[in-house]
Amino acid sequence: MDYKEFERLLEVCRIRLSKGEKEGMKKDIDEILEYFNKIEKDKVGKDVKPAYQPIDLPEQLREDEVIPFEDVDDILANTKTYRFYIVGPKI
Amino acid sequence: MSRIQEFMDADPGKDYYAKLVEELSELNTKLNAFNNINMSLESGYPVSFKDNICVKGVETTASSKVLKGYKPPFNATVVERLLSKGFGFLGKTNMDEFGFGSFGLNSEKPARNPFDKERVAGGSSSGAAIAAAIMENHVAIAESTGGSIAAPASFCGVVGFTPTYGVVSRYGLIDYGNSLDKIGIMGRSADDIRHVFGIINGKDRYDATCTGMPEGSESQRSSRKLVVIENLLKDIDAAISKSFERTIAKLENSGFEVERINLKELDSAIAVYYIIAMAEASTNLAKYTGFKYGNILDDFSKEYNEFFTEAREKFGNEAKRRIVLGTYIRSASVREKYYYKALQIRRRIGERLKEAAGKGHIIMPTMPMLPPKISEANKLSPLQTYMVDILTVPANLTGLPHISFPTDYSNGLPIGTQVIGAPYEEYKLLDFVGEWEKVFKYRFAYNLGSL
Repeated sequence: MDYKEFERLLEVCRIRLSKGEKEGMKKDIDEILEYFNKIEKDKVGKDVKPAYQPIDLPEQLREDEVIPFEDVDDILANTKTYRFYIVGPKI
Repeated sequence: MSRIQEFMDADPGKDYYAKLVEELSELNTKLNAFNNINMSLESGYPVSFKDNICVKGVETTASSKVLKGYKPPFNATVVERLLSKGFGFLGKTNMDEFGFGSFGLNSEKPARNPFDKERVAGGSSSGAAIAAAIMENHVAIAESTGGSIAAPASFCGVVGFTPTYGVVSRYGLIDYGNSLDKIGIMGRSADDIRHVFGIINGKDRYDATCTGMPEGSESQRSSRKLVVIENLLKDIDAAISKSFERTIAKLENSGFEVERINLKELDSAIAVYYIIAMAEASTNLAKYTGFKYGNILDDFSKEYNEFFTEAREKFGNEAKRRIVLGTYIRSASVREKYYYKALQIRRRIGERLKEAAGKGHIIMPTMPMLPPKISEANKLSPLQTYMVDILTVPANLTGLPHISFPTDYSNGLPIGTQVIGAPYEEYKLLDFVGEWEKVFKYRFAYNLGSL
């Protein structure tokens, strides 16, 4: 990964680092990606389906029914509120 | 009747709990096992929950500053089920931030091994393992993504049980990697774990990935055949290797047949695991924005991106590294090369491991080393730390049930061995470990709450 790409990635992730932190993380990431590249040698046929889940699970759906949540005040207690709204930054 | 049921029926009284939490609080200042302790516990069989499992009204942070102050307005399903069956909430256990770690050091207060405080407890369920190791009457509910139950169980000398992916509801668990996370149990015996597992497994309307166990599986008996995967053992420490061979010899003398095989597919298991885990973690951590819950920023005059960036400064170094790497892995230019291919290889590894587990229980050491000193572990690079998971990743990557249990001691430190089963063979594995416990006595550094 080149440095420009790394900088762009930090911006996308909304991660801010000092100059020293950037150098350390870039070095670690390059080392880890080099290790990840070992899977290139693994020959896997195109017909092998990706395992999005490790175990094949049955499809389980449920009725879409409304169940009132009784402790709304507890949810709002976790944040700053104005009247009944959660206060957030400008968009 | 199980030991847990006997304890509940006997009801030790309020003074017992007062003494327990007082002694636990004092010891906790040395070991950092708990992020918080319920000092008003007065009844029930003491149970703790890893700090990424939601308990109503109790601060739940996953040991992250990003979630500081968050008090869930609901109980996780495992919490609800245990509290309704006579268990008493003892506290929330320490962990590596969001589960990102193998040593229990990625936390504001690094966890310490009860056998030697200068050494690591293992991670990420570090506090759960310590809690199980220091209290006689207690079970710890933990969670594993790539070995977070087995690793600390091995280092702290307790039994660590990780069920098949999807058997225990994850409703109320703070996600790390959705296709990898499993809630499990840590305790001092297979019998205790069997009791708790019987309560927490089962379908849940709030978790569409939860299947529960097949009916009638409680009567499963252990296989008499064991399978050793030779190529996984080539890079482990000599002390562990020798100890493992002694354990195998004991089991052969007890009548178990042992087959040795090679599975070259496992050579890329660590890379595959971390690619998938980081991709999933980076999406899960996107929801911490600094205003909905947890650490709330005060300056709402800032533009959204600036506000969001400032909130995310609270993440620890390992979390930031995984966010950046995971985001890169999922990017359009390399997605096929890393993420998609890793998922394909996972399928192939899973097929091979299930074939092996079909012959008999797979058995191997849990960790490739004795618990290292904290000072030594802190010197390892991130990649070196990931490599420590070489033995715990295969079962976790493929969602197979496994149990780590103590099989030896070296220089006063415990050594764990793990058995891995085919999907839904939990009770076979519990039967196997129960049989081992009849001939091998576990050692503990502390016995708080002894009756």
